[in-house]
Amino acid sequence: MTPRAKKPAAPRTRATDPAPALAFGRDARHDLENPPPDLYGRPQADRLMAFLTRFGDAYSPAMGAPLLRRSPRRPESRGRAPLTLVVTAHRPVAEEVVELHLADPAGAPLPAWQPGAHLRLTLPSGRQRHYSLCGDPADRFGYRIAVRRITGGGGGSVEIHDELHLGARLTARRPRNGFAFCGEAQVLLVAGGIGITPLLPMAREAQRRGLDWHLVHAGRSRASMPFTEELTALAATGVPPAGGGGRVTLLAGGVPTGAELLARAVAGGAVYCCGPAPMLAAVQEALDALDGPPASGRQAPRRRPTALHFERFGAAPIADGRPFTLQLGPGGRTLPVPADRSALDVLREADPDQPYSCHQGFCGTCKVQLLAGTPEHRDRRLTAEERAAGALLPCVSRAAEGETLVLEVEPR
Amino acid sequence: MPRTVPEVHTDLVLEPRDVHFDWTGLPLHWIPDEPFATHTINVLHLLLPEGERWFVEVFKEALPLVRDEQLREEVLGFVGQEAIHAEAHQQVLDHLLAQGLDPRPYVRQIAWLFQRVLGPKPRLTARRRRENVIERVAFVAAIEHFTAFLGNWALNSPGLDRAGADPTMLDLLRWHGAEEVEHRSVAFDLLVHLDPGYLRRVRGMLLGGPLLVHLWVRGVRFLLAADPSLDGRVQPSWKAAWHVARRGMLPDPVQSLRSGIRYLKPGYHPTQEGSSAQALSYLAGSPAARAAAGAH
Repeated sequence: MTPRAKKPAAPRTRATDPAPALAFGRDARHDLENPPPDLYGRPQADRLMAFLTRFGDAYSPAMGAPLLRRSPRRPESRGRAPLTLVVTAHRPVAEEVVELHLADPAGAPLPAWQPGAHLRLTLPSGRQRHYSLCGDPADRFGYRIAVRRITGGGGGSVEIHDELHLGARLTARRPRNGFAFCGEAQVLLVAGGIGITPLLPMAREAQRRGLDWHLVHAGRSRASMPFTEELTALAATGVPPAGGGGRVTLLAGGVPTGAELLARAVAGGAVYCCGPAPMLAAVQEALDALDGPPASGRQAPRRRPTALHFERFGAAPIADGRPFTLQLGPGGRTLPVPADRSALDVLREADPDQPYSCHQGFCGTCKVQLLAGTPEHRDRRLTAEERAAGALLPCVSRAAEGETLVLEVEPR
Repeated sequence: MPRTVPEVHTDLVLEPRDVHFDWTGLPLHWIPDEPFATHTINVLHLLLPEGERWFVEVFKEALPLVRDEQLREEVLGFVGQEAIHAEAHQQVLDHLLAQGLDPRPYVRQIAWLFQRVLGPKPRLTARRRRENVIERVAFVAAIEHFTAFLGNWALNSPGLDRAGADPTMLDLLRWHGAEEVEHRSVAFDLLVHLDPGYLRRVRGMLLGGPLLVHLWVRGVRFLLAADPSLDGRVQPSWKAAWHVARRGMLPDPVQSLRSGIRYLKPGYHPTQEGSSAQALSYLAGSPAARAAAGAH
């Protein structure tokens, strides 16, 4: 579970300053009553714009007529159903790590996946957890995951270790991939602890394609590191690496530095990293050193930068959050926002169609309009003008303890 | 570009990436001594901020119609990426203005087109409003076919490197192009989810395709006329476009046309164009994406 801990990729300072204003941009109010003038300032209406406007005004109301609508004979599209999986194996593979094999209850083939993919499991308790698939994508009849017990965590790993037995049924979503393997010619896979899980299928794929690959696995002790034998066996099957030495380096005990982890990295190649947040930060820093300073001014970079692949997990943990209240319209429903949840999470519960995207206050998709209340802006997207006009990004922004933020509700 | 094995990546998780570009010192003709090629590509900056903001609005309107959880997440990831693209290109527009090339007359028209002509129409019945949303998704899907085509071209355009194009601008084009390749299926999958009818898809392309080409030609003419350093000396022509394309600074016009026609094939799916592996590999090393990842 460690690699999926909700930690930002790098140490993150809270950006509370408004974004710089734009000369003319998204907050510009364009005149939508009078058609725009001619492009070259000639004293005439723009013919193309006039034509498009007339066309649009006739086109929209025509929608819904035969041939201009969804065929009423077609049934509505439906969502894909979740998978039902049964536990076919449950065994320890390292200290505090169990491996689970999951299969279709009737033995039917499962949806295909590619290295780096994960599964979202719904446990019998209702907890939902993501786990990287660590088996062989060629095996269409079983999924394999590995789970480290995290005592004092959210309880998902403990439930899997202690309560999930052979024959238990789970629901899961189809595999999704947020860490796709791109098959670059030179690949360094860097795993921390249980972070080995998505990298194991990548190593297998790299070996199958005959790529120049190397894997570094760091852990607190040899006994705590799963799949070492499987890795060694895999590395022994193919052509030995060109530069000598093995394909797999095990670093047990101690916390390796970024430079140690990247000792085998090739500048201009690719690094895939999965492990605890501090490890990823160390790798990022060491990689910048490997690539040299970024191209300054208008000089071309000396060479292609090294690609760094890692899985992004959206929201950063809430720092210094206080409980406050959202109100949907003046006199509308009130929704308490606890200290450890974002206003967006609370809003989404009330309205599943509330849009959002980055969870980090930089894309602006979740923007809402504030009618009353004093917010604490924590985004790095909105300009001072937008903030003054009442814009708020609920994915990160909050309010002082006990404050009530009244939001505009759009009629749907 | 990194050499990768082309392979369809299925079921990718889409998330916006924050980026940081430094435009100080960007020359007006960022392909040195090639004002025609520079401004032909610059039309992107004229069209995209308003266009991509419109994509975001259309997809937000379509969200309540989506019945599949995975598609819904892909749509939200798409929306976030498009929102970041719009702002990145907006910065270039601001930079053009600071250099004495005033893009506002053209942008004003594009804003009218996307906000007024293609914007939400009040006073429609619920059923018509729904049909209008789907129709606009069909336009987005057709345009996304071109953005994926252009993105794939940007990722495989050594001609721009040979011509000494500005590295930051190349990174903008390739970062954006790579995300277009990465999310190239979303608009099409959304369209098929909302209406799998062939007529709707074809209509999106037959109306959207020629309009896009016309706006592009108009944009090139406008930029060449508005460039204070040219005094109207450079005249646009298809012949000039052909020559520049032959030297690898623009996509081949014939291939572009063929690509538009491929969209009309009944068995078309966006995964047939471009390589996710190449796109993701570029994104993992993009200086702008790495700069933003390190800055926060």
